[in-house]
Amino acid sequence: MKADLSPRMKTCLYGLMCVLLVPFVFPTWWMVTSSVKPISDIFAFPPQLVPQNYDWTTYTKVFELQPFVQQYWNSAYIAAVVTIGTMIVSSMAGYAFARIRFPFANTIFMIVLLGLLIPSEVTIVPLFQMFLQAGMVNTHWPLILVPIFGAPSVFSTFVMRQFFVTLPTELEEAARVDGLGRFKIFRKIALPLAKPALASVAIFTFLHSWNLFLEPIVFLSSAEKFTLPQALTQYTDAYGGPMWNIQLAAATLTALPVLIVFIIAQKQFVEGLAHTGLKG
Amino acid sequence: MAEVTLSNVRKSYGAVDIIHGVDLEIRDGEFVVLVGPSGCGKSTLLRMVAGLETITGGDIKIGGRVVNDLDPKDRDIAMVFQNYALYPHMTVATNMGFSLEHRGTSKAEITERVKWAADILGLSHLLDRYPRQLSGGQRQRVAMGRAIVRDPQVFLFDEPLSNLDAKLRVVMRGEIKGLHQKLKTTTVYVTHDQVEAMTMADKIVVLSGGKVEQIGAPLDLYDRPANQFVAGFIGSPAMNFLSGTITPQGFAAPGIVLPLPDATLGSLQRKAIYGIRPEHFVLDDEGVPAEIVLVEPMGSETQVTMKLGETLVTGVFRERVSLSPGATIRVRPDLASIHIFAAEGGQRLN
Amino acid sequence: MVVAQDHAVPEGRSSSPFWTIARRDSLAGFLFIAPQLVGISIFVLIPLGLVFWYSLHEWNVLANTFTYTGAQNYRMLIEDTNLLEVLGATAVFSSGLVIFNLSLALLLAVLLNQKLAGISIFRTLFFSPVVVSLVAWTIVWGFLLQKNGGINGLLQVFGVEGPNWLREETTAMISVIVVQVFKNVGLNMILFLAALQGVPNELYEAARIDGAPRFKQFRRITLPLISPTILLTSIITIVGSLQVFAQIAVLTQGGPGLSTTVLVYYLYQQAFQFHFFGYGSTLSILLFVIVAVLTFAQWQMRKRIVFYES
Repeated sequence: MKADLSPRMKTCLYGLMCVLLVPFVFPTWWMVTSSVKPISDIFAFPPQLVPQNYDWTTYTKVFELQPFVQQYWNSAYIAAVVTIGTMIVSSMAGYAFARIRFPFANTIFMIVLLGLLIPSEVTIVPLFQMFLQAGMVNTHWPLILVPIFGAPSVFSTFVMRQFFVTLPTELEEAARVDGLGRFKIFRKIALPLAKPALASVAIFTFLHSWNLFLEPIVFLSSAEKFTLPQALTQYTDAYGGPMWNIQLAAATLTALPVLIVFIIAQKQFVEGLAHTGLKG
Repeated sequence: MAEVTLSNVRKSYGAVDIIHGVDLEIRDGEFVVLVGPSGCGKSTLLRMVAGLETITGGDIKIGGRVVNDLDPKDRDIAMVFQNYALYPHMTVATNMGFSLEHRGTSKAEITERVKWAADILGLSHLLDRYPRQLSGGQRQRVAMGRAIVRDPQVFLFDEPLSNLDAKLRVVMRGEIKGLHQKLKTTTVYVTHDQVEAMTMADKIVVLSGGKVEQIGAPLDLYDRPANQFVAGFIGSPAMNFLSGTITPQGFAAPGIVLPLPDATLGSLQRKAIYGIRPEHFVLDDEGVPAEIVLVEPMGSETQVTMKLGETLVTGVFRERVSLSPGATIRVRPDLASIHIFAAEGGQRLN
Repeated sequence: MVVAQDHAVPEGRSSSPFWTIARRDSLAGFLFIAPQLVGISIFVLIPLGLVFWYSLHEWNVLANTFTYTGAQNYRMLIEDTNLLEVLGATAVFSSGLVIFNLSLALLLAVLLNQKLAGISIFRTLFFSPVVVSLVAWTIVWGFLLQKNGGINGLLQVFGVEGPNWLREETTAMISVIVVQVFKNVGLNMILFLAALQGVPNELYEAARIDGAPRFKQFRRITLPLISPTILLTSIITIVGSLQVFAQIAVLTQGGPGLSTTVLVYYLYQQAFQFHFFGYGSTLSILLFVIVAVLTFAQWQMRKRIVFYES
């Protein structure tokens, strides 16, 4: 597989990859370019791969039609809180399951892993009722508490555990001799060494929270509480049909920052992901 | 500095006993080596002293204080690990000063202590490096530096040289010994290498199957091993053993009769083991015949594998033996250095 | 110099204090897992119990009644003619998704594993949809798939009359699968790539010396060695496919007819659009059982299809 390739073979491979690339790259290009087209050019034939006329008012309308800044902030702060919270909860639990011997550790681990088997969609009805009782419907609490403590964090805990299992025990023993208690060993030795695993947990968690859709539409009912995915679907005309160019402008604003961060830090992204201990 | 006392220390995992009642007195400033084959419990014993393993029974005292349930950090010990256990995310200086940070030592004093330790170990120019930038020997020195900065009551070494190549091992052996002579801190050192034990220890503890086989000064163990296990473990090349019977004519081994050191030894007709070190054969025309199987010249000496009766034995001679396999030489056991062990249990009889 | 801290351990006595090293460590362990354990109890275990409890009840939100009806909801499940269609759509969607996703991921991983200049740019681009907001991605595809949208526009340039993708049963199903695959195939691609790079190069060299052609090397060496990853990604992808909701909600709203109404979407409609919380809970139990059975079955298959485990 790793043998050197002939020039002809190389050309073939490049060509094949470029063709395969179209459905991955073209939608993003189409989203960005269409968002600045006037509505008349949106469905123009032949399709304009590069806009012929520009209409930048789509972007001001994004902010006029909805409290988009507020919604942007909602998504951003919820994702940030969920990411940090999950990193804390799952690194602690993952560390304990990997490294501390305590009674029933295996049984408890199995119970926690059950969370992987239970998609949040299964429990959405009772969760809605529970948060209704607690007066937390149409607040952001369900979108923060459930991911940090519930089923979605189990995957992170699993990733962290797989990482901590590979950490040499000698390091921790040296730390014990050096005078550190459990918590300090965790904070000063284990956690700094777990940066790659923490990074992938952070990426996964952020994307999961950023993309959350079912939960917001179940729990949130007022526009200023909405998160971005939900807000994007609200740019509709009086008949419920989408206002395409405005919707695409809002989608561009939602997608582009994360995409740019990804392209800058893509090495960490991709390599962090490959080191989640999921290699089997 | 302190003495360390183990009384009837036991360890078991469920029903399986790992350590069976070990008693050991280590005097203040002594360099004690725990030696034995792998799985004999020597590392477990060391880790029990360190507090990294719990003890099932008995008492461990350090400086007169029972430490059975103290955390490692409260035992005032320092440990050097087999794989060094240097913190990969900290510089050499931070690694060395790390334990002091957690004991409320002032920044200035940490810097001073680290500098002192680095000077002793020749690490001063490496203080800003990270462990991954160091060679094996340098890592080993940092691990030692981390132990000495604290000036603990006891140093514990867990096979610290096993990851080094043979040449570096000899160098570091000397350095550890030199360090001990300088600091005079009580030291417990675990190794499976009996050469390390012989060359470094004030006192050797030979362990096997979780039991103490013998405790003594290196040369005492060499000269008067208490049983066949110790006799076979200490000394290189290893002692030769011939099994046979004690008779009035001498020791009757298969195909040969060997002279015994003293006629009144034990009861006659007793089955026994005849032990002789390779270096205690003397070339002598009056001796017993031995057929040469293999000759290995080492320069300073010659190692000869030969057939004594029906048993293959090894002899080491200062003389250059220029004979080829198949030839017969005559050798005489040095009667002052003969060890007789019971056939059952292997206890020393003479 | 350092002074050993004073401890309240009486000199020369060997009776153990209550807080032995092992006990202190156990306490630490429980404290470390406490947030996760409490969270799982509140947000997973209790809701799972409740959802079963609800499924045994007739729950009328408008009349505010909650009456025990035993297995009635489950009988309804069997008699629900829509459900058969929904399960059919779910099966087509999930199996189509898994097959398309895994084969494309493997193909891309093999391509990216070649020694080619600039390969990391391709890797970045193939991965990029993963980080694009899910709903944004779905909206732009919805836009492309309109009757007069970009895809049909491009097809028309070549003289092909494209269908109304999202309004015809077959093409609607294909569309939601394709949109989802291109969004997330990058994840599996990276996992496969890591697995491919974990195959020791000597094995290929040995195979070349043995004279095995490339495709045979792939079938006899690569596939067996990465089979643990294939299994793992297939479990993750199947369970993930059963949770796909946003794409359906944005692209087709389950239509046309029930052709793209997968179980999760049906559950959402029953519970939160029609307020049949009791029946919605019964559907939740069904979803849970399906996920559990599939995971268990794939785990069992591990012994058969996984040739090698590190």
